[in-house]
Amino acid sequence: MELFIKKHCHLSLKSRSELPEMYRALRIDYPKFFKMDNLSKLGFLASEILFKDETVRFTPREDIALIGFNSSSSLDTDRNYQATIRDADNYFPSPSVFVYTLPNMVAGEIAIRNRFYCETFFYICENFDVGETANKIRLSFTDSVIRSVLAFWIEYTEETKEVFMIWVDKEKNKLPFSEEQLSILYNK
Amino acid sequence: MEHLILRLKEEIIEVLNLEDIKPEDIDDNAPLIGDGLGLDSIDVLELIVLLGKNYGINVKEASQGREIFQSVRVMAEYIRANRTK
Repeated sequence: MELFIKKHCHLSLKSRSELPEMYRALRIDYPKFFKMDNLSKLGFLASEILFKDETVRFTPREDIALIGFNSSSSLDTDRNYQATIRDADNYFPSPSVFVYTLPNMVAGEIAIRNRFYCETFFYICENFDVGETANKIRLSFTDSVIRSVLAFWIEYTEETKEVFMIWVDKEKNKLPFSEEQLSILYNK
Repeated sequence: MEHLILRLKEEIIEVLNLEDIKPEDIDDNAPLIGDGLGLDSIDVLELIVLLGKNYGINVKEASQGREIFQSVRVMAEYIRANRTK
């Protein structure tokens, strides 16, 4: 099956403060952004960059699959949650932080925003693996319902704030999907 | 009472990350859940935590929240009657 890369983006941030700055620069009106954890904010912003110029948005879709990968899972948020429970004399677990102690929440937030009623997957692996990413993308297309896949490698830790997102589609365009192309785009 | 209402609005904005909303934007008598501020079930749980943490009020049943969070004014009245700190 021939597949094509419709859009892609690669963001690498230096600090947390860049998340709201980017949100404002993109002129997004979605107050729920500020309730998300950092991992979800980062993935959300990448998806907005990819989808912002689409003429048709927010129409319910079931033909797009979301696949996320990362190494540190939801560690950043896990630590924030731990801070709310580590002191027995000041023990106030935060429900709104707790709900983000799963990395696949980022896929959920993108799906909610865009009204994607679809399959979402999230894999934890040591590093960005071109072969594994390509395999999982191709596997999704074996489902006859699927016409597009939004796949992303995302890391949010103290040291690394990176997201590489690609939108793979059956519709023909200039950029054929392949491991080699994936590697070129990631290393750009 | 007015001082408590203002403080409560500031605390709600902070714990619920209500970006771009100022205390004066919140109507004292508007419903917090649903139409008014449009809070969801996780927000309600976070407000229950706020009551415990800042005012020493232990809300045992989440269903009590419906009464307590009718509005900021109702919430402030509840705090004034039940606070332990």
